[in-house]
Amino acid sequence: MSAGVSQGRMIGHAERVMGTVVSFAMYPGELGDAAVRSALAQACRVLHEADETFSTWKPQSAMSRLRRGEAAVDELPTEVATVLDLCERAKETSGGWFDPWAMPGGVDPTGLVKGWAAERALAELVEAGVAAAMVNAGGDLAVYDRPAADEPWRIGIRHPWRVDALACIIEAHAAVATSGAYERGEHLIDPGSGRPLTRAAAATVTGPSLAIADALATALVVAGAREIGLVTSLAGYDAYVIGRDGSELASDGIRFAPA
Amino acid sequence: MGRAPLVIIATAAGLVGVLSFHAGAPNSILATTRPTASSRKQPQSGSAASASSSGATSSILLITRSAVGAKEQYGYGVLAVRVTVRGSRIESITLAGLQTAEQYSQQLAAQVIPMLRSEVLSTQSAQINGISGASYTSQAYALSVQSALDRLHVA
Repeated sequence: MSAGVSQGRMIGHAERVMGTVVSFAMYPGELGDAAVRSALAQACRVLHEADETFSTWKPQSAMSRLRRGEAAVDELPTEVATVLDLCERAKETSGGWFDPWAMPGGVDPTGLVKGWAAERALAELVEAGVAAAMVNAGGDLAVYDRPAADEPWRIGIRHPWRVDALACIIEAHAAVATSGAYERGEHLIDPGSGRPLTRAAAATVTGPSLAIADALATALVVAGAREIGLVTSLAGYDAYVIGRDGSELASDGIRFAPA
Repeated sequence: MGRAPLVIIATAAGLVGVLSFHAGAPNSILATTRPTASSRKQPQSGSAASASSSGATSSILLITRSAVGAKEQYGYGVLAVRVTVRGSRIESITLAGLQTAEQYSQQLAAQVIPMLRSEVLSTQSAQINGISGASYTSQAYALSVQSALDRLHVA
């Protein structure tokens, strides 16, 4: 038994996938219960498929086979080429600070795939016709529209030292990705040395694409706040960086919200 | 986790003896109601306002029920929440069980849990909609809330 879906009602869901938890918040608008369930199921399918294709932990994933040299890109699902193209673009955009090809063990798109998959999951909900939605893939999130006309999505940014405390709250309009030295991050590799290194405590990047924001957040944690220009030079992207000394730096487009 | 849990805290809801470990993936939905911009300007006349168009189900909205979610592992231990709903609207979330591996994380959890609760309840209290930056505790919290709602057959 359930109440009918009405405008203004929020529907949430948490899905365990990609080694993390992906949480959904949806405002169905005119969509009925069945349509919402179907869109949510399809969004979750997208996430699980991305996991099956790109997990470097699963020996039989397409990505694992590619890394072992057992298959070429053109023998694998087309998503592999799509993601590798995005990785290439993110590498260029980040001035080489995000470099999936510099990872120990072979090409590893992990720093971008979670955001890419979350974005695709959100697109399923948008195509189905939800009024507003958020997909949060373990801290990298994409939003569509807003919870209410006068109210943007309010996103807390995890504090880099006080685990699970917030450093601040920002308004989100598309994608928000945060990377931090606190991650048990094999992917926080300094491309110059091939070794783990972080020059900032945490970096948040906002912008139109979550895949790119995800990669740029990783790049800024490795590169440090002085490279913030890499992000701000891109149309539509902004950054908020917390230095290892606790200093904060935010570009003009970051909108802090009252706590 | 190789370390044995040292501490169990029971909070307002009490430590419930019927906690069981979560068997399968959560597959259901939680639902809360956020006032729309226009409705918020009007005086609040009752929590069932949003369901006025669905008369057949309006009576169920008056029933208050609660359930304890699955124990979920997080970076420093295990937590479980109790969720109380009125119809399909979340009324409260309390910590039903918390096992931490060390004193430090017990203190940490004491700060963390109220914040996570505000995230889940944000649609009613207009706080935050989500957290950016990986967090084991928030993930475990989300899963436990979800499984409690599954047990309540919300949505």
